[in-house]
Amino acid sequence: MLRYVAMKLGRAAFVIWAAFTLSFVLLFVLPANPVDLLFDPDQLNTLSPETKARVAASYGFDKPLPAQYLDRLGHALRGDFGTSVRSGRSVTGAIGDVMPSTIVLAVGALVLALAIGFGIALLASSTRWAWLRGVVEALPTAAVSVPIFLSGILLLQVFAFQLGWFPAYGDSGWTSLVLPLVALAIPVSGPIAQLLVRSFDHELHSGYVTTSWAKGATRSQVLVGDVFRNASLPALTIAGITFGNLIAGSVITETVFARQGVGRLTQSAISALDVPLVQGIVMFVAVTFAVINLIVDLAYPLLDPRLRATLATGSAGMRRPR
Amino acid sequence: MSEDLRSSLESAPPRNRWPWLVAAAVAVLVIVVVAFAATRGGADSKTSVANGKPVRGGTLQFALLDAQNSPDPQLGTNYAESIIANNIGDKLVWQDPKTGKITPWLATSWKFNHDLTQLTFHLRRDVTFSDGTKFTSASVKANLDQFIRGDAKLGILPNGASLFPGYLGTDTPDEYTAVLKFKQPLASALQAASITSNGQPVFLAASTLKLSATQRAADATKIIGTGPFVYESWKPQVNTVLKRREGYNWAPPAIGHKGEAYLDKVVFNTIPEASVRTGSLTSGSIDATLDVGTTDEQPLRAQGFQIITRPVSGTPLRIDLNSSLFPTNDIAVRKAFQLGWNRDTIKKTVLSSSYAIATSILEPSVAGYVDHSSTLTYNPDEAKKLLDDDGWKPGPDGIRVKDGKKLTIKVLGVNNLVANKPAFESIQADLLKIGINLQANVVPHQDFMALWVNARTAWNGTAGNTSRDDPVVLNATYSPLLGNQGWLDPKSADGKKAIEVLGKLDTTLDPAARVKYAAAAQDLLVDQLALTNPVYDATQVIAQAPYVHGIIFDAQSRNEFVDAWKSNGK
Repeated sequence: MLRYVAMKLGRAAFVIWAAFTLSFVLLFVLPANPVDLLFDPDQLNTLSPETKARVAASYGFDKPLPAQYLDRLGHALRGDFGTSVRSGRSVTGAIGDVMPSTIVLAVGALVLALAIGFGIALLASSTRWAWLRGVVEALPTAAVSVPIFLSGILLLQVFAFQLGWFPAYGDSGWTSLVLPLVALAIPVSGPIAQLLVRSFDHELHSGYVTTSWAKGATRSQVLVGDVFRNASLPALTIAGITFGNLIAGSVITETVFARQGVGRLTQSAISALDVPLVQGIVMFVAVTFAVINLIVDLAYPLLDPRLRATLATGSAGMRRPR
Repeated sequence: MSEDLRSSLESAPPRNRWPWLVAAAVAVLVIVVVAFAATRGGADSKTSVANGKPVRGGTLQFALLDAQNSPDPQLGTNYAESIIANNIGDKLVWQDPKTGKITPWLATSWKFNHDLTQLTFHLRRDVTFSDGTKFTSASVKANLDQFIRGDAKLGILPNGASLFPGYLGTDTPDEYTAVLKFKQPLASALQAASITSNGQPVFLAASTLKLSATQRAADATKIIGTGPFVYESWKPQVNTVLKRREGYNWAPPAIGHKGEAYLDKVVFNTIPEASVRTGSLTSGSIDATLDVGTTDEQPLRAQGFQIITRPVSGTPLRIDLNSSLFPTNDIAVRKAFQLGWNRDTIKKTVLSSSYAIATSILEPSVAGYVDHSSTLTYNPDEAKKLLDDDGWKPGPDGIRVKDGKKLTIKVLGVNNLVANKPAFESIQADLLKIGINLQANVVPHQDFMALWVNARTAWNGTAGNTSRDDPVVLNATYSPLLGNQGWLDPKSADGKKAIEVLGKLDTTLDPAARVKYAAAAQDLLVDQLALTNPVYDATQVIAQAPYVHGIIFDAQSRNEFVDAWKSNGK
């Protein structure tokens, strides 16, 4: 068991280090001269070489590359990713400013998406009418087919501009959260719902459920007591994909609803060629991704007794059950 | 478990086709219902309010596309930053947007020395920063030194270096006199001191100048200026709130505004989506918005909103041609480029009514503009003749060839304005007809910046546009000693001529002489050297509710709110 944990931890650490090194190479090594990116093209020729040299020295661009790399790695380990070129704010500060907003949006959308997913799966497996089942099973496909910018703007048109129930932009309390949460939850819920429908279906046909029927359980007792827990496990497997969907969706959601967030910060940092900030965001996403996968890897043995047993006996084939 | 799941899936009955039909039907139904709901009912009609006496008080909710990346007004990298900087700080002089004349502001009078290497400003005596400290010549010196030279220790970039090239320093003979000194004649320094666009010479209190860039970005309320508003809060990417400065009494006299601003607060909301900006305006949560989509102008007018505009002053959106890279180092090619594309096509199919086809390398609102549409016209026959006479013969694929090399021109453009890409594509199609292979790379801003770094050796043409309401913008942009966007060799005959002709713009303040030199500069750049290919003039458009008054467009088409008020005073 300890070896399993150590291996997963090691893998997470490797992924984080690799992300740092790759982003360093792509952002600091490949561009011809990072100092040139700090100024408008119009101004570039007018600046004297001495001015450019001074600016380069203040950012440390004049040191040899391995020295720059180790210097930045050292700072990064201490949580210092430098300062944003466009605003002068520290990178960790800039990300910290917008992170709460994104976390609220992401967690809320994830909860809503899970609720939608489970709701769809429950409805599909508990109904006796085939036509209703067909409609509900088609919903996940429809959910991922409508792009967020379209659904977001439609939601705004109806609920914010026409009906005036919710504000259209910014961040003024819980009313500003409703529309973005719905817009982001819809496409995220699609894969979850799809997976859960299949999973519920499969579990309903398994042996232990037959036993429960035989013992006289009602449909709801079977669904909630037996099927629910076992069918939920695959949803954990796609936690990584779900996280990816949330990040991708949050960029568009934050833009359409004019909210603060890591997604929009990424987009504007890239637009402004704010290299330190871009690296900081890449590292933030990499660390979050690695941590989520690590948590899932460590949580699986706790949820699935079969895996616990395999680990305890130290079996060679340590694969996460699919 | 995977085997069990797979086998259970295989043994499950084949899926019906009709769930897909149902999904499509549901999606269509949702869209139809929502579209119906969205188009039902319009905004309530706005009764127009007559322009009465200004009402004090109220909060103006303003929307724009860009977000302020930093509260430091001297940094200024985009529109949002320059507009907000204009309202929390003041400058030495004010350029009248209608006449282009320089009028007093923080400086009551000024004088150049004989050879235009020293500019003396006499300052107002009643100006204070919002923390109570006095604005004196020491403030001017401290600000300009940091603005132009930067401060590596504090992480401040030399934001003003290109505006005041050759700056030596500022002398302060007494408390209200500042003397700026330059290495060479710099007549443009006067207009530079009035600039309201990116990277403007706005004055900050001594306590602010001591702060590092990081500290400035951490707390916007520490940015202290002399302006009619002060920072109340700055929420990155979301909004900036400014509140009225008590005791303000030095708006530019030319505006005719006495005392403090009328509004209590101005809130700059960043709303990236065009339809959300317009929708917020029509539903009443926004009072005025910049960055109005071109297709929204007419519907907004019809609903009773006012559209106020000003063309951007400076150079039009243009393609500068690289005179040191084959084949644009050949003047026949450059002239053929200018003659080879149809302006009417672009005007009709690409541009909206807010834009105009460029007729010179200066925009019509800049003093000294001369109409060059006789050179900048569509004449494919003349273009073909020029190329034929120069030895460019059409190859088998229609592209002209000379000495075995094809006439391929690689141009780098930026797609920040919606009209750019279609305009480039239209030019490309027209040039192909006369045998020029134009490869247009119209890319997002960040890629443009990264690719521009190799402009001299990799690109035959680069797109650009500059906001500066003064013909000296041509010297700053094209002189081989300064911007050199045409990549002239300063030692060549053409380069030396350009240095001389363009440099004259910086040597005099006499209006008649400046008009003469501006004409000569435009003739040189457009006619003689064919160094640039102007395309279209852009306009800044604001849509406002009828109860909003007094928003000012300055000489660079940015906005001042000192004179703005709302009839309902809310």
